[in-house]
Amino acid sequence: MTARVRSALRTLWRRLREWSGDAAYDVYAARVGGGERVSREVFYLESLRRRYSRPNRCC
Amino acid sequence: MNRLLSSLVWLAVALVGAGALGAIALWRGEPVNGVFFVVGAGCTYLVAYRFYSAFLAARVLSLDATRATPAERLDDGRDFVPTNRWVVLGHHFAAIAGPGPLVGPTLAAQFGYLPGTLWLVAGAVLGGGVQDFVILFFSLRRDGRSLGQIARDEVGRRAGLLAMVSVLAIMVILLAVVALVVVNALKHSPWGAFTLAMTIPIAMLMGLYMRFWRPGRVMEASAIGFVLILLAVVAGQWVALSPDWAPVFTLTGPALAAAVIVYGFAASAVPVWLLLAPRDYLSAFIKVGVVLALAAGIVLVRPTIQMPALTRFVDGSGPVFAGTIFPFCFITIACGAVSGFHALISSGTTPKLLVRESDARLVGYGSMLMESFVGVMAMVAACALEPVVYFAINRPAGIVGATTEEAATTISGWGFPLDPATMHQLARSVGEETLLNRTGGAPSLAVGMAHIFSGTIGGERLLGIWYHFAIMFEALFILTVLDAGTRVGRFMVQELLSRAFPRMAHTGSWTSTLLTSGIIVGAWGYFLYQGVLDPLGGINSLWPLFGIANQILASVALVVATTILLKMGRTRYVWVTLLPMAWLVTVTLTGSWQKVFHENPRIGFLAQARSLEQQIAEGHVPEAKIADTRRVVFNNRLDAAVTGFFALLILALLLEAALQWYRILTGQRTAPLSESPYVRTKWAEGSP
Repeated sequence: MTARVRSALRTLWRRLREWSGDAAYDVYAARVGGGERVSREVFYLESLRRRYSRPNRCC
Repeated sequence: MNRLLSSLVWLAVALVGAGALGAIALWRGEPVNGVFFVVGAGCTYLVAYRFYSAFLAARVLSLDATRATPAERLDDGRDFVPTNRWVVLGHHFAAIAGPGPLVGPTLAAQFGYLPGTLWLVAGAVLGGGVQDFVILFFSLRRDGRSLGQIARDEVGRRAGLLAMVSVLAIMVILLAVVALVVVNALKHSPWGAFTLAMTIPIAMLMGLYMRFWRPGRVMEASAIGFVLILLAVVAGQWVALSPDWAPVFTLTGPALAAAVIVYGFAASAVPVWLLLAPRDYLSAFIKVGVVLALAAGIVLVRPTIQMPALTRFVDGSGPVFAGTIFPFCFITIACGAVSGFHALISSGTTPKLLVRESDARLVGYGSMLMESFVGVMAMVAACALEPVVYFAINRPAGIVGATTEEAATTISGWGFPLDPATMHQLARSVGEETLLNRTGGAPSLAVGMAHIFSGTIGGERLLGIWYHFAIMFEALFILTVLDAGTRVGRFMVQELLSRAFPRMAHTGSWTSTLLTSGIIVGAWGYFLYQGVLDPLGGINSLWPLFGIANQILASVALVVATTILLKMGRTRYVWVTLLPMAWLVTVTLTGSWQKVFHENPRIGFLAQARSLEQQIAEGHVPEAKIADTRRVVFNNRLDAAVTGFFALLILALLLEAALQWYRILTGQRTAPLSESPYVRTKWAEGSP
């Protein structure tokens, strides 16, 4: 039971990080794997530029 | 056996929902409890999701779970990222749910609780959910293309241009009206103004943290920001009580409007990481948290609804805004029922994240139902107030008078007896000098939320803290919409101007940035300023204009969706988009006509202009106010022109689409779809 709760909490935490954007770089790094990749800082700035160049918040 | 059990469970859900909605619709003579709203709406959403969205998914759209989505085919780890559907649901919900589903229902509560509640539920189930779902699906099938691009590809080049102009126009009016809501909530409120002012350095600190110290660590920065915001809410009380600091943060409407305009310009021009992004992260966390807390609060406190089902203002003489239930209730509540702006989100980031086509049902339809539920909760919070308090807060000074005593006389005359001491006491208990004439919906909603929250934690002692927390919550994400909208508006102006001046397309150029920021901020700033000066409170003019613009964009989306359904050969199911489209076109055109030509000066812009001119000519306007009055006359004519422009936009698009539909239905034209080719998903057997 405890293990199940712990697993559920871990999943919740992971989803929360994905939702908030906290895990975005980790997802990107996993996608790129051993290939060439940009730094965390560059990735963060690029992702902000993309996100805020189109309507992303409604009324 | 399982099938029988399932049928019985769904029958029970449907009966409970019908019973709860029937109770709030038919119960008369004694107050209804807020829980009926939650149960009635919740059960309706469950049934609609289970059956209607399943019908849309299976029969109308034929979602194909074996078909690879753009997130899978174009996966680059940046724009196109396969993401868990519950995470996408959270993203999408946070993006679509802004101040609209809170403010719109609060304003529409002047008709009583019934019209707005029924529209919120029915509109979301039959209109808003359908629009969001089908546009998301169509964008999914087109590599995540935007609504404007889909309109151009599927309806025609003119339709694409009309969609783009509609988006820019709605953006200007939207930004003006949400800024007006903030100004009306914070004028003469040192506590509120201080708290909101503090969100700027707090957001900048978070921005620096995520840019230089811990790049991209959103959760850490948001936790720091949240704690600082709470401290700012508490510190606001000391500021309000300080004889030195209170005057610094006690601002008039025009001064606050000027501050918001300067802020909007700065937020659009400075790097996005410094102010816009951190504020957005913080606002998203607080938004979701407060919505959940409000739902829990309503269930725990079970507030009694004080507002009658229908008020005397169904006749169109409403003090909050003038006009009859049809069409104005359906324009006032856009977000929460049907909102065209959602189509931009559904054809923006969301389709680039979905792992499966079948997830579009949960994300598109499901999140609209969640937003509608937020609207129902806002309606409960507003209607749980004593009607007399609701009207005293939401009435402009031009109608009830500026003092508590004048307001008491006017409002008591409507059959809601107001004791001036009640308003004084309420204002004191929430830490304000006065709550009178705070038009815009935000303060009355904050009072309602504060009563619900303080009924759960802290009691009357914490009423002031909860009130200012609610004001901060509303203002925080209104400013986020303002920041993000101004920035996107700037890019759109840059794109339009670059057709004549190609150098304007360079978004990194400071000249281009400052010029286009100035244009977009100047546009919404002008409407904001006219709203602040408007003797009828501004909301009476601007909110219906915003509702008309938003519903016209929804009509654009549904016209595009109808065209695609016809091209797909789904003629027998075309009613799923055609009926909500016909309803919205009827509502917006009727609303536009009335706002321009109605003979009542409180409704018709031209009638008000004529009435004011006549007052000047007859010498009823004091010499010192003649210049201001002439400006109001001009603004009314400008509003009439803008409204007429919106109506022409939708008529032009309808004409374009009708020709297209005729050619398709009569076989005069082949109707190729611009869908991406089928590719089988590699995840057919399980989730990534």
